[in-house]
Amino acid sequence: MRDIKDTKSIGARINTVLTYVVMIFFTVMAIYPLLWLVMNSFKTTTEFQMNKLGFPKEWVLVNYQDAWVRGKFPRLILNSFIYTGVTTVATLVFSFMAAFAFAKIPNRSTKYLHGSFVIGLLLTLQSIMVPLFLIINWVGLYNTSLGVLIPYIGIAMPMGIYLGTEFIKSIPDALVESARIDGATYWKIFISIIVPMAAPVAVTVAIMTVTGTWNEFMLINILTSSDALKSLPVGVQKFAGALSSDFGKQFAALVIGLVPMLVFYLSFRKEITKGVAAGAVKG
Amino acid sequence: MPKVHTLADAKREQRRAYWTLVLPGFLIYISVMAFPTVFSVILSLTDYNGGRLFGGKPVSFVGFKWYGRLFVDEYFYLALKNNLWIVLVSVFGQIPLGFFLAYVLHRGLVRYGDFFQTMIYLPTVISTVVIGILWKSFFAPYGAFPELMRLFNPSYEYGISSHPLFPVLFVILWMYTGMYMIIFIANLQKIDGSVIEAAKIDGASEGQTLRYIILPALSGVLVVSAILAISGSLKSFDLIYVMTGGGPANRTTVLSIYMFDKAFKGAPNYPLANAISTVMVLISFSLIGLTKWVEHKFGGKE
Repeated sequence: MRDIKDTKSIGARINTVLTYVVMIFFTVMAIYPLLWLVMNSFKTTTEFQMNKLGFPKEWVLVNYQDAWVRGKFPRLILNSFIYTGVTTVATLVFSFMAAFAFAKIPNRSTKYLHGSFVIGLLLTLQSIMVPLFLIINWVGLYNTSLGVLIPYIGIAMPMGIYLGTEFIKSIPDALVESARIDGATYWKIFISIIVPMAAPVAVTVAIMTVTGTWNEFMLINILTSSDALKSLPVGVQKFAGALSSDFGKQFAALVIGLVPMLVFYLSFRKEITKGVAAGAVKG
Repeated sequence: MPKVHTLADAKREQRRAYWTLVLPGFLIYISVMAFPTVFSVILSLTDYNGGRLFGGKPVSFVGFKWYGRLFVDEYFYLALKNNLWIVLVSVFGQIPLGFFLAYVLHRGLVRYGDFFQTMIYLPTVISTVVIGILWKSFFAPYGAFPELMRLFNPSYEYGISSHPLFPVLFVILWMYTGMYMIIFIANLQKIDGSVIEAAKIDGASEGQTLRYIILPALSGVLVVSAILAISGSLKSFDLIYVMTGGGPANRTTVLSIYMFDKAFKGAPNYPLANAISTVMVLISFSLIGLTKWVEHKFGGKE
């Protein structure tokens, strides 16, 4: 292989250079708008109007200080952490419990129950939006955090069930059976055998639930109206979206809205991309 | 001593364990997804318009009245047309581009592949809301886009665009291409590398390897990606809601925004909104069915 590479023809070299040019072009396209945003969040609005493309002449932090306080960001970030944390933990627990039962406890209902979850993968938020709004109002959960959390958990369930069941099926039946013969209850088997073994797929489900819940915007927007319950995306939209001339502050608010997911992505890059690939199996 | 005494005991314990494990999740799922979906279809056939859901004003069935109303509304067709544009950009833009990027990265045609991959996927993970406002400001008359254009063409004047959907389509392409890239990379990795090596030793060119080994192996994934792109495109809401709100003058509206406006803006018309969402689900399912049919008809082995 080595000598083939060394005797590359001029054509091949041009190809390589072109490939680099194209890849660099796409990379610049992907990150330039984000860099532009960050750069401009450090300019005063007056400077932005005169200098829209260049670096700030003077890097100021005043936009961040303003946006942080006036946009009530501490509250929004806390809320988003609560919604995402509770939804993710509850989704994992409930979906893996059911997935274990579907995969390892024989029952005639499994075909229908599991099937109904799989159909859920194809359902869209749009088709449940209005009914959910009416139902949540009817049961008195409008404008409560529970009224947001229950739908979030239900929406995340199908993927958890689907991936969980597939994975737990691949665990040998003999492990469960021998534990049964030793007198272990199904609960004990679930906690001490299934949960530790299913950890890798649980990470995938957790990551998908975290990204989905953290970025969710449409449902929480219609199921709540109080400031105290807003999530980060809703808060950013209400605050930054309304600033049509105070660009510095708007950009700072957007950067604050962007940072948590950026940190999450850079920390769990490998797991996130694995999750995307796993999620694409559906269909 | 075994804990289970008789077969009947064992069966009973098994059944009890099954239902305690399944029910919590199933009840939540049924109440927030399955039931509302059915409820939505039912609502679309009634004249319910606000007020108490049960025990309030009597609600009567009006048949397909709202569907009839929908099919004579010009905004429905406008929204549908915009949705189809998004489907086209997704299927014929995101997927080929994503495939190209995945191919270059997977075959190791460039160094620092990991860096390229991380950067190109980055836009996908950021909140749509942040992305939407960012691009709205970027494309705005006072934003960077007119300025950038003037670098290349000093006489560029910002005018009201005759194609207001263009920026939206561009941002959709920008945001989600990385997702297809990742899907393709994951599936390229599943192809047995020795087959490709063997073909190379036998003198196959890069193009031939692609045509006769890689593409056939990926046909199943291409179909799944097309399905994801179609259903994703029909669902698109957040980005457009934030970027344009469907405006100017409803020119960039899509079905989900059209539905949202009917249900939550001004006087609510819940049955009509649910008729729209039912039609959306039907379109989505038929396009997915069509994709599967095309796959079945024109080969492509999984």
